[in-house]
Order: sequence, then structure tokens, then C-alpha cells
Amino acid sequence: MSDLIRQFRDFFVSLKLTVVLIAFSILLIFAATLDQVNLGIWAVQQKYFHSLFVMWRFGDIPVPIFPGGYLIGGFLLINLIAAQVYRFKLTVKKSGIWLTHIGLILLLIGELLTGLWQEEFALRLDEGETKNFSESYRSNELAITETTDPKFDDVVAIPEKFVARGEPIQQAKLPFRVVPKIYYPNAALAARDANTPGATATPATTGIGLQATATPLPLTYKQNERNAPAAYIELAGPEGPIGTWLVSADPRFPPQSFEYAGRTWKIAFRFERSYKPYSLTLLKFSHDRYAGTEIPKNFSSRIRLNSPDGRDDREVLIYMNNPLRYAGLTFYQAGFENDDKTTILQVVRNPSWQLPYIACALMTLGLIVQFGIHLVAFIARRRPAPTAVA
Amino acid sequence: MRHRLLPLAAIALLGLTSCRDSKITTYRVPKEKTPAMPAAPAATANAPGATMANTAVTTANGPGLTWSAPAHWTAKAASAMRKGSYAITADSGETADLSITAFPGDVGGDLANVNRWRGQIQLPPLAVAELSGATAHLDVNGLHLTTVDITGGPTAKPQRVIGAIIPVGNATWFFKLSGPAALVGREQAAFATFLQTIRASSATP
Repeated sequence: MSDLIRQFRDFFVSLKLTVVLIAFSILLIFAATLDQVNLGIWAVQQKYFHSLFVMWRFGDIPVPIFPGGYLIGGFLLINLIAAQVYRFKLTVKKSGIWLTHIGLILLLIGELLTGLWQEEFALRLDEGETKNFSESYRSNELAITETTDPKFDDVVAIPEKFVARGEPIQQAKLPFRVVPKIYYPNAALAARDANTPGATATPATTGIGLQATATPLPLTYKQNERNAPAAYIELAGPEGPIGTWLVSADPRFPPQSFEYAGRTWKIAFRFERSYKPYSLTLLKFSHDRYAGTEIPKNFSSRIRLNSPDGRDDREVLIYMNNPLRYAGLTFYQAGFENDDKTTILQVVRNPSWQLPYIACALMTLGLIVQFGIHLVAFIARRRPAPTAVA
Repeated sequence: MRHRLLPLAAIALLGLTSCRDSKITTYRVPKEKTPAMPAAPAATANAPGATMANTAVTTANGPGLTWSAPAHWTAKAASAMRKGSYAITADSGETADLSITAFPGDVGGDLANVNRWRGQIQLPPLAVAELSGATAHLDVNGLHLTTVDITGGPTAKPQRVIGAIIPVGNATWFFKLSGPAALVGREQAAFATFLQTIRASSATP
């Protein structure tokens, strides 16, 4: 083994590294907990834990100032595996430690995979409404839909980051270019009376943007609020600009229709959608209260689950702590609005949800085995050796 | 060999941390029914809906009541649940609490409400037949009050609740003085005088 590899190995096997990494983790968690006041839990998770480095902005330049959760967790993982391989020999006496460490390794991997794979969406259903898509809690998209065909719609969904970038977008399915002119990550909408002399100028040349304007707002990180980005989007065909539309992800802002090249289109900024190969219909939302009071007792949604292939057509009842698990997704009862006529289900995909359970079981088992071995040895030692009575 | 591969595998796993990249997607979906235009702007346009944790409990609105409290009761800020709130502190530092709440409807009726208060000081619930013996009635300024006086709780530290239940329009108002039995007993006369000051007001409190 060359010197370099040995040094590399010694670095990762070292117990000092473990101590340093754990100290870093403590500092990271402490700083993140304090910063939660400013950023809210989701942004804190992204900034501190689901990142390789914690970045600080000096002017416009992001500078890494501290290792992030992925880096510390990754090094801990390597450190743990390396120590396991090089330091601990697999013997019966150490089998408990082995199990515990394997559990810990699984826990770290599980957290990594959850961070990478977990998706959270919301499904809002009015009573009697059927939907085959859920909507993101945080991400938005610019959807340009061709609605010419009476049976179906062809959708081109452009994630918000492309709109934010401001570069022209050319997509093969669109006969025009999409040019984001102005983009506000969060904006307030206000009515605009074009007939009033001195009305604020608007970059919009068609659609609702003639009667409404968007003004930028500071980003919100509150848990019960979401940013409503707005943008002025120009569509340009080969012969020149078709028009500039104001679009907003505010749910009150409707999609806008237009005609181009003999086809009908719709443009909308909306919550990012995730379509499913099945549909859910809300039959009834119930908000039970304790008798004679307004104090909530239970929330439940009676849903009809229907897949077009006819494999599933059944009713399910979703209530607190009793989610629907279907096709790799979990549907939780998360909220309601609209005077108890609309249910909000949280739709979560987490393919690695079992890993933490397995990890904890392994660690528990490992500790029991390890302490058990010590206990047995201890009792054996204490048992007085038979001595001759004088 | 195995020894070298494992840490490498861990590093490879770390490499997975490259972000999921969102891309422009195209797809075909069945025609969507155009939703009706959303209703008038809601105040919380960007709130993702009520969650069960922050469900507001509806308190009664509409015609209210007015009252005047004795000077030695310390007014506390009213809250979402309380129309009025007072603290009464004894020299020993013990405090009793007077709460004024109102809810729509009859909130389950007198029996349910009296039993709720009984439950709060560890007393068993009453049967229907026992209710009339446990309550008294009082007419004050055109209002009909059902009053309750109960003592319960641990023998070493007995607790007492004296309260009045008042139907007002389509709502029910509750005036409840609760705390250590000795202190509440001392304030009983003041509470009775206080009840005499309650009157209906046309304005919403």
C-alpha cells in the first residue's frame, strides 16, 4: 500500500475525525435552529442539511462558510464504514457493535436517500371533484397548453427556474419561443385601470396584464405562506412577437387563452403538477366536532379511487393517522378549506421510508446483544469459584 | 479488495447528492374541466389552506354582553377564545381565574356544560334528574342566568367553580370563576355582585 493511500485510509479511519465531525454536526444544528426564525424549517433544511456547504452571500457571490449536512453526513458515513472495515474484526464478542454500526450506517444512508428522493405534494379536492394530479407545495411551473383538440390537452411544463433565468426557451412542441421578460420570485397583484391618465405602464401587451400589475414582494419563508411568483412572458413566432402576458402563480390568477397559427393555447403560471395514472374523487369531507361545541374531533375524506385500467375502483376513507398508501405514494389528511367543502391531502413519496425503522431495529438489537454479552461475562466472573470450606 | 471497495462505495453514494434536476416536460392529459373563476380574493391568498393544527374554534359573534368588574380583579388581555378575562390574586399569592367566553348555539345544553365544569375539578358527571338540584336560576337585567357552584379536586387542595350560563340570542355565554376553594369562597359575594352588572349590549363586544 503506498504512503498516500495509507494516509488517506488513516484519515478516514481516525476516531479524531469522528469527534470533529460530531462537533461540526452540533454547531450546524445549533446554527440551523437559530436561523429557523428567519428562514422557516423548509429553507433551513435546504440551506444547512440538504447541501454540501452552507453558503453565505457576499454581495452577489455565494461563499461556502461551513460544511453542510451532506458533507458532514457523507464523511461520517465513510468514517464509520472505514472504521468498521479496518478497526473492528467481526467476532462474536463484537457482534453487537457490528450490528449497531450497521444500523447507524443504514440510518445515515436512509436520511440521504430521503433527502434525495422524498417528494411532497398537495392534493386539493372540492366535494364531487375528480383529479389525477397533485400540486407541489413550493415549486411552480409555467404551463403552456394546446387546447385545440376537444378530447385532450397537450402541455409543455416549464419549471420556474427556467423562467427565473430569463433566457429565451425554444421547445419542439411549441411553434413559438417563450421569452421571460421580467420575473418576480414573489409578487403582489394590483388592479390597473388603463383608461386612467397616468396609469402605471405595463410590459404586458395582451391578456389580464392590461388590467393588472405585479409588484415584487420580499420572499416569504413562513411555513403557512407560499411565494406567488409572477412574470411577464413574451411569446415570439418566426414573424415576430405575438404578445406579452402577465402570469402569476397566485391561485386567483386564471389561465389565459389565445389563438395562434389556427390553434388554441392557454398560458398559466401554476403550482407544479405531478400527474398520476389514476384519479381520486372527493365524495365527502367530514369535520366532526365534539357534541355541542366547535372543537374539532376528527377530519376525514371519503375518496373514490379509480384507475382507468379498471384494476381499482373503490372507496377509501382517509383520516388522521390513517393515510391511503397507493402506488408508492402516501395520502395523508392534511387540511381543509372552503367551509369544509374542500379537503387538502398531503401526498408523499418516500421510497426509503422503511430504512429508519430497520436501522433503529438493528441498533436496538446490536445494543441488546453487546450489553447481553458483557452481562453474561460479568455474571460468569462474579460467580464465586467453588472453594473448600476450612 | 473488499476493504478498499467499501469506502469507495460510500464516496460513490455521496456523489449521488447531485441535485435532482428539473427539466421542461411535455405530456398529454385528458381535457380538464375549466374551473369556475375563483371567488373573491381571500385575505390569505398564499396560505396553503387551513391545517388542523391551527383550526380556529368559532366563538360567538353578534349581540354581546357588558359588565363591570370589581376594582380588585385584574383584567387580562382577552384572547381568541375569551371575551373577557380577569385574575384575582390572594395575599398568599394564590390566584383564581375568571373567564368570559361565548360560543354559538347551546354548546350541548346545561347538563353537558355543568358536567364539563365538574369534570375539570374531578367530580363525576350528574344525571339529568340531578341537574335541577345542582343549579340555581337568576334573572338579571332581562337575562336568564343558570348558576352553578361546585367544589371538587384533591382533598388537600380543593378547587371550586362558580359560574353562570347565559343564553344570548343564538349563542351561549359562560362566566366562570375557578380556583382554590378558599379564595373562590372569599370572592363569592363579589362574583354575585358582578353578575348583577351584566347586561345585553346591542354592539358586538
